[in-house]
Amino acid sequence: MKKLFFTILIFSSIIFSQEKSHLANDNLFSPTNIKRFADYLFCLKDYLRAANEYERILSLVQNDSIEFKIALSYLEMGNFSEASTRFNSIKKSSSFYKSAQAQSLKSVFQTGDIVQFRNQYLDINSNKAYLDSAGMASLYMFSFLLTEEPLPNEDEFIKTFPIAEKSKIKNFYDWKQDPLEKSPLKAAIFSAVIPGAGKIYANEYSDGIYAFIATLVAGYLAFDNFKAGHDFRGWIFCGLTAGFYAGNIYGSAAAVQIYNARIRFDFINELKAFLEDKNYFLQVFNFCN
Amino acid sequence: MSGYLKHILIISVLIPIKLFSQDIIQNQYSYALSLYNSEQYYDAVTEFKRLLFFDGEKEYVYDANEYIGMSYKMGGKFSDAILYFAIAEMNAGNDEELFNSKIEIVRTNILRRTISHAIALLDSLQKDKRFTDKQWDIYYWKGWAYIFNDKWDDAAREFSKIDSSKTLMIFCKNVDQEQYSVSFANIISHFIPGAGQIYSGHYFSGFLSLGWNVLWGYLTINSFVNNRIFDGLVIGNLLWLRFYNGNLQNAVKYAEENNLGITNRALDYLQSGYRGIKP
Repeated sequence: MKKLFFTILIFSSIIFSQEKSHLANDNLFSPTNIKRFADYLFCLKDYLRAANEYERILSLVQNDSIEFKIALSYLEMGNFSEASTRFNSIKKSSSFYKSAQAQSLKSVFQTGDIVQFRNQYLDINSNKAYLDSAGMASLYMFSFLLTEEPLPNEDEFIKTFPIAEKSKIKNFYDWKQDPLEKSPLKAAIFSAVIPGAGKIYANEYSDGIYAFIATLVAGYLAFDNFKAGHDFRGWIFCGLTAGFYAGNIYGSAAAVQIYNARIRFDFINELKAFLEDKNYFLQVFNFCN
Repeated sequence: MSGYLKHILIISVLIPIKLFSQDIIQNQYSYALSLYNSEQYYDAVTEFKRLLFFDGEKEYVYDANEYIGMSYKMGGKFSDAILYFAIAEMNAGNDEELFNSKIEIVRTNILRRTISHAIALLDSLQKDKRFTDKQWDIYYWKGWAYIFNDKWDDAAREFSKIDSSKTLMIFCKNVDQEQYSVSFANIISHFIPGAGQIYSGHYFSGFLSLGWNVLWGYLTINSFVNNRIFDGLVIGNLLWLRFYNGNLQNAVKYAEENNLGITNRALDYLQSGYRGIKP
């Protein structure tokens, strides 16, 4: 009976102490404990501290998963160039090599340097053995939506994307092909014919109506003053009318340029939100479950 | 007998192991605290987080979170600080700790200029019967919240409730009296153009404004008197109203600028010259 009691006491105290502490041994700064702590920081999204802790382990032992996590930490922090360098430093013999190549490409993509991104993609693509092909090919093709270059053929473009995304991608493709932008020249001509019409063409209805009324009233006052023999005032209103008229023509063209810029801005924003949502068509790493 | 000896031997091995691990945690706490005390706040946060991670007994859960919060606060990362103070608050072991963590949240909100949060939290503390003996602390921090909200009169009122804060009360009253009334400057400028600027010490601008308004007002009225309605409308609308409106805007702008200068000087003094506890 006493034996049983002591045995339970001993085992329960051992189990109890193991459950309550993350200590693997008596040294908080042993590689095992540093790694556990670094993983904890990584999952807390405290990436800078996580990277620092992982670096401490690397100074003691070489480990490709740690190298990969350091690079991921930099990527999550938005330090894309450092992330890319770190991903590229992972050796070919590592099981993380393919993923690192893909993540490196993503890092370069996120720096916004599309030319370097494409060069790197083509470089990786030349060695198909190491290619995480589907995701990277989609990302490569997607990059055409972000530049002013002509788009590839529609079928060729869309076939590189996963089936679930094809309809959305087609919308983007059509939007890019026909961005529904308006012509500043047309706006200027419209306003030259009917003051304010160019503003209405640029979807600025209240400005258009205001410009029409202001030009009309100033013009009428000029006409009325000339008619009544008040030449000086007539010329003042004549100048005012000319100012309104010319300003409205210029303003209409500018309004269309702003309208077009807004369309391009919305388009880029939608593309970026979509890419974030799809994790750039690449594998999602979850080290925290 | 030999059975007993065996068990005693096992227990005597296990107890030191447990005590040893507690020593490690205690050492880690001391190390993190030394980093905090030597103002190495980034490293202090890391080491307190390490302590939290390995402290299986959760012996330091309150202190570590409190110090992490304070380190973040020192580094100007106020939102992170509030997050960790809130965790400390949840792990407070007694009313004293609970009060301290709540006050830290208030102080950080004051620094973050989310004054409404700070005041709402102080109001709830004031109503809490557990903290009836802490009313002076609450008045004190309310006073500071009002200082940062540029309400020096309210701040003086709060400090007046505390015997030991008479100096602060007098200081806040002086600042309040020194400040210009923006609405007064605006109103007198409606009746006498330029008066608002003169009130806030901008004499040249005030008299210039008065001069322009007298000139354009005279020309406008003169035009109407001589039946030159068009001239009267043009001068009145394009010149007199423009200068009259400018006079009103300047009156408000100068009074606000002066007040900002007074506030900044007062805050500067509080930061460098005041020796009491600050947010």
